[in-house]
Formats: sequence, C-alpha cells, structure tokens
Amino acid sequence: MRKIIFMALVLMIGTGIAWSAQGMKKKKPLPYEFGSVTINNYSQQAGMPPVVFDHWIHRQYYTCRVCHVDIGFGMTAGSTKVRAADNMKGYFCGTCHNGKTMHGKNRIFDSCAREYSREEYKRCVQCHALERSAAKEDDFYRFSERMPNEKFGNGINWELAEEKGLIKPVDYLEGVSGKKANLKVTSDFALKAKVEGMPDIIFSHKKHTVWNGCELCHPDIFIGVKKGTTRYSMVELFEGKYCGVCHDKVAFPQTDCQRCHSKPV
Amino acid sequence: MDSKGRLKLFILSGCLCLFIILQSAYGEDAWRTDFNSTCAQSNDAMALSMAELKMLIEQCDRLQKIIEVQDETVRKVYLKRLQLCKNLYVFVLESKMQEQKQK
Repeated sequence: MRKIIFMALVLMIGTGIAWSAQGMKKKKPLPYEFGSVTINNYSQQAGMPPVVFDHWIHRQYYTCRVCHVDIGFGMTAGSTKVRAADNMKGYFCGTCHNGKTMHGKNRIFDSCAREYSREEYKRCVQCHALERSAAKEDDFYRFSERMPNEKFGNGINWELAEEKGLIKPVDYLEGVSGKKANLKVTSDFALKAKVEGMPDIIFSHKKHTVWNGCELCHPDIFIGVKKGTTRYSMVELFEGKYCGVCHDKVAFPQTDCQRCHSKPV
Repeated sequence: MDSKGRLKLFILSGCLCLFIILQSAYGEDAWRTDFNSTCAQSNDAMALSMAELKMLIEQCDRLQKIIEVQDETVRKVYLKRLQLCKNLYVFVLESKMQEQKQK
C-alpha cells in the first residue's frame, strides 16, 4: 500500500514539474485576437481592468513608426508604463484620444479622466476591456472581409492591402511627428538559409522602412546595418528576438515560411 | 505716487509679464524645434558624413540635458524619442569608423 502511495506521489510531483517547466502548448490566437496586447502596469491598482490594445484597429490608419517612434510607445507590452495622467496631458494614447482630434468625420474619443460618471464609464471600457467584446469582434470580421486574405496571423495581408489602396496608413501626425526627408530606400538583399533545401530569405528594406523608419530597428533590434553583421537562428527568432520582435506578435507569424524564404530556387 | 506714475508702473509690469510669458513659450518651442531638426536626419543617417553625425550626436546630448528638466511625461516621451535617433547616429558613426579602419 505504501509503495502505491509513494508511486502516486512521485507521479503527481513529476507531472507538476513537467507542467510548470514546459508549460502548456501556446494557444494559437484567433484572427481577431492576433496582435492584441494587454497592458496592465497601473490599471488594476486604479481599480480598472487592464487595457487591451488591438493592433488591427490602429494599423489600418497609422504606420508603426507614428506610434513607436513619434509617440514613443515601446516595442514590448507594458514597457512604456503609460499612466492615465500621461494620456490626459495629451501624450501616448492621449495624442489622438483626446476628444478633439478628428478622424474623417468622427471625433476620436477621449482616453482617460480623473473622474467619470456611470455614462462615461462606457468610454473607459472601450480600452479597459472587461471581457471579450462581441461588437469589436464583429467589426473585425466586417473589416477583414474587405481585405486581401492571408493564411496566418489575423488573416489579413496588410502589405497587399496597402498596395491595393484598401488601407492608407498615415506616417505623419501634425504637431507630433517631425518633418523628415524622404527615405532613400535601400535595395532588397538575400540572406542565406541555414537549412538545406530551404529557399534563401529576401529581406525587403522597402517594405520595412516605409512602415518603420530606420531607428525602430537599428540598433535596438538589429545591431548591424551591414548585411551579415547580425547572425541569428530561427530558435532566437521564435524566442522573440530580431524579426521575432514583430513577427508572431503583430506582423505575420514566422510559421508563414514562404513570406520570408522567398528567393526562387 | 501720482496716477501717471501708477500707469507707467502698470504698463511696465505688464510688459515684464508679457516678456516672461513669451520667453518661456519661445524657450518651450525652441527645444522642440531643435529636437525635430536634429532627429529629422534619421532617414538620411547612412548618407551623412562622419562630421555631420558627430555634430548631430552633440546636439542630441545638448537636448538631453534640456529634456531631463521637463515635466515627467514630456521627459518620458522625448527621452525615448531622443534615444532612438541618437542611438541610430552613434551606431551609423561607429559602423562608418569601422569601415574606414578596414580600408
């Protein structure tokens, strides 16, 4: 009997360790959830639910650079440590979400307030999401129906959408962005694949610099400006380094091999 | 003090107040203008000469001192923005220096 109890204990402890060490297999996000970022630096301390930021809503209107360079948002969730006070002063989310800025014919809703009524609380929960919003999900599917399809990520080929003029992301915010010279687009280059039979990678500077600028990637993400300076493996990429900073989280996932390994054999 | 004297004093203090307000407003705008012109070159970083890059890095250092004394939020936003463009200039300069050494 003692032997059985001992064996059961060992089995339970072993399972527990294996569970905690390897974790569960990550759940593949639904198209609607892909690119969602939960920000919870101060929300719960203030008695509010965390902010759920949807990239798909914003990236149809603005380039990555507008938010991650000109407005100053970090590249990882929670790294910016945005406070309601920052938004109220007109920075971070408050740059646009100030109740004054117009987007087409619509006024962009105000982001934060020191005091709010029961009615105004409805505005708070647009970002401080209490639960999954069916209305937002509907909006996403209605929007994605008009966009070119993609197998992975949130099922939208954003690059093609821009090429076709279906989205026109803005790269300049009056009073926020500095006037910059036109980007001199560096030519595409090929990177040798490490696996035999796998096509080489074609890195398109055009696709990346137009949306990101130079300073978003160099030197923070890619230490080299010259081809071959940074050596990386797919393992590191899947760990969220280098290309993995964006790809898998917001930009198309790295499981879509052919998007990068695209050099004709 | 007679009424003329009081009027003069009133106008003088008014002018002084206006001067202080305008000066602080100009000062506020001045560093932002400097910031924009300094970081505006980031698109051209690779085409800049080493001397130009060094000058821009010095401008970034000067701006950093001004931004460090601003309000907490302004500091948070602009130090991050400044860091992005300064790091790029430093990085391009170092690569150019390395390239020169190799030649």
